[in-house]
Amino acid sequence: MAILSLIDVKKNFGATEIIRGVSLDIVQGEKHAIIGPNGAGKSTLFHLISGRYNLSAGSIRFKEQQIENKPPYEIARMGLARSFQVTNIFQRMSVFENIRCALFWSKGYGYSFWHLLGRQTELNDEAMHVLEQIGLTEKAKFPSGELAYAEQRALELGISIASGAELIMLDEPVAGMSHSEAQNAVELIRKITEGKTLIMVEHDMNIIFDVADRISVLVYGEIIATDEPKNIRANPKVQEAYLGEVHSA
Amino acid sequence: MALLKKSSIWIAFIVALLGLPLLFDSILAISILNQMVIAIVFALSYNMLLGQGGMLSFGHAVYFGLGGFLSVHALMLIEFETMVFSILWIPLIGGLFGLLAGIFIGSFSTRKAGTVFAMISLGIGELIAASSLIFSSFFGGEAGISGDRTFGPTFFGFDFAQNIEIYYVAAVWAFIATLFMYLFTQTPAGRMANAVRDNPERAEFIGYSSRKVRFISFCASGLFAGIAGGLFALNYEFITEENLNAATSGRVLLMAYIGGLGYFIGPIIGAVVLTLMNSLLSNYSELWMLYLGIMFLLTVMYLPRGFAGFIMMHQLAWVRGNMKLLIKPYLVTTIPALLFTLCTIALIEMSHTEDEVFHYLGLVLNPASPITWIVILAIAGGAFYAVKRSLLQLNDAWETANAIPKEEET
Ligand SMILES: Nc1ncnc2c1ncn2[C@@H]1O[C@H](COP(=O)(O)OP(=O)(O)OP(=O)(O)O)[C@@H](O)[C@H]1O
Ligand SMILES: [Mg+2]
Repeated sequence: MAILSLIDVKKNFGATEIIRGVSLDIVQGEKHAIIGPNGAGKSTLFHLISGRYNLSAGSIRFKEQQIENKPPYEIARMGLARSFQVTNIFQRMSVFENIRCALFWSKGYGYSFWHLLGRQTELNDEAMHVLEQIGLTEKAKFPSGELAYAEQRALELGISIASGAELIMLDEPVAGMSHSEAQNAVELIRKITEGKTLIMVEHDMNIIFDVADRISVLVYGEIIATDEPKNIRANPKVQEAYLGEVHSA
Repeated sequence: MALLKKSSIWIAFIVALLGLPLLFDSILAISILNQMVIAIVFALSYNMLLGQGGMLSFGHAVYFGLGGFLSVHALMLIEFETMVFSILWIPLIGGLFGLLAGIFIGSFSTRKAGTVFAMISLGIGELIAASSLIFSSFFGGEAGISGDRTFGPTFFGFDFAQNIEIYYVAAVWAFIATLFMYLFTQTPAGRMANAVRDNPERAEFIGYSSRKVRFISFCASGLFAGIAGGLFALNYEFITEENLNAATSGRVLLMAYIGGLGYFIGPIIGAVVLTLMNSLLSNYSELWMLYLGIMFLLTVMYLPRGFAGFIMMHQLAWVRGNMKLLIKPYLVTTIPALLFTLCTIALIEMSHTEDEVFHYLGLVLNPASPITWIVILAIAGGAFYAVKRSLLQLNDAWETANAIPKEEET
């Protein structure tokens, strides 16, 4: 069962075509990695799916509904959460508030101006639980803009996973982390996405072969292969276009 | 415990609101207190936009003024017995009209924050101010409109002829409004306003339309500005175009900014300080607007987080029990700073005065004599030098007071 389907998706900025006809089915519950050289269009693809950019052509279905050209908040409410490659948090708010805000919608608060947050014990406990998972309990009251880089990455991840969305999309979640930090983050991602669908952009091959059920290789705006990790490794087209390039680099 | 600490601030607020007119009971004092509580509500409502929602408005007086105009109309309705209700409800009418205006204008102006929002607010402000002169049946042209608050049913025998009676009405409304504005910050909509202020894009990816979040804050802000306008109408019993034009919008921005946008209490401090300066300084000098401007500049340059931010800066030293280390250096800096300020004021006033003699702080100065100028300039120079020296000491003391104690370091 495909939870997400991309059908001949295209995106151009002005005259340059960045995504050149991508079709892809993401199966419910799978862990799907997207790899590809720098500038291939991986982040752009994420932006198209999550509603940050409008498509130039094609269509996207999420849970049986057309979502192309819907605003991001409607897509998010359907159960799609994402992180950003460049940290994108609420700088002046505390770490705890960042996470709590990420929980509001899924907990049914909507635009409420009649619930006092101090009294929402369940919500607050849940937020603390997420903080514990991302290892930021000690920093709960800290202004998030003043966190160290790795901590901000952890918070970025926390905001994305807090709501417990069915489909989680992570854009290079562990980039810039130390080896052990990355290890922890991967463990967390694995735990949190259990029974859920994950799409992840990542450069570290060890992590990908470790986490992913399937891999798609995006080169120059096109998916040249989608397959299980072991077949991707053996695929000559991929070796030529991507893995070879990485190895020789 | 935390609850006790929180409610103690509110109790202090109530005590101050109720007690101040007992301490300061002259006619002038009551009139200043009235302006103060009105300004507090108005400035707090402004901060819902700028401090909490990241919307820089140059036209916030529109909601204050419209609320005020409708309130004066309501006073007239009561006066001519078209309707019978107590004037106690007038601020609510002002608030509802402010809310309506907020819903209408916010429906398109909150689409974007930043420069676009600021420019739209400026445009709307000019538009409404101009319209108020054109549609004189509602706005009364340049003279404005006036009412009389002593009609309508009395309240336990009070007919509200006295300013002090209105003060207590205003104080109760101000308390209610302040409490609700505070509670708003403690709700999901209030928190999301902060989130959208910080990062409107990310807010959309956690399920919120930034535009709708801004719209809700904007409407709430219109409501409370309208309440402040209603209080103004009750207090002065008249209202003119001046109360909804750009000058009034500028003043409320100034209050919130000087007080400190980042703190709930900031605009309250700003409202109190500016109302005092407005009413007291204007008694002493024609140039009070100039001093206000200078103060604004200095605050923006040296206290970017406002008076509230300045006070909160001392939290760490306070917690560490090191405030006593700061008292002496503060005094040593303040005294020459005060002297320098007084000399500067003397120089400004002397260049402005057309009189032969200039009375200043009990002294009789001769503005025509170069010696007067030289002496004052010399004192100012000396004081300036002393300030610069003592600032170094203050800086050292500051670092000691905030330093991490030895035992904590390890
Ligand atoms: N808003 C935009 N306007 C114009 N060009 C863009 C825009 N966003 C991305 N691009 C271009 O699209 C191409 C793909 O960018 P994208 O960020 O999607 O690559 P990526 O695969 O995520 O690369 P990386 O591994 O470096 O993150 C790049 O050449 C980039 O310059
Ligand atoms: Mg990218």
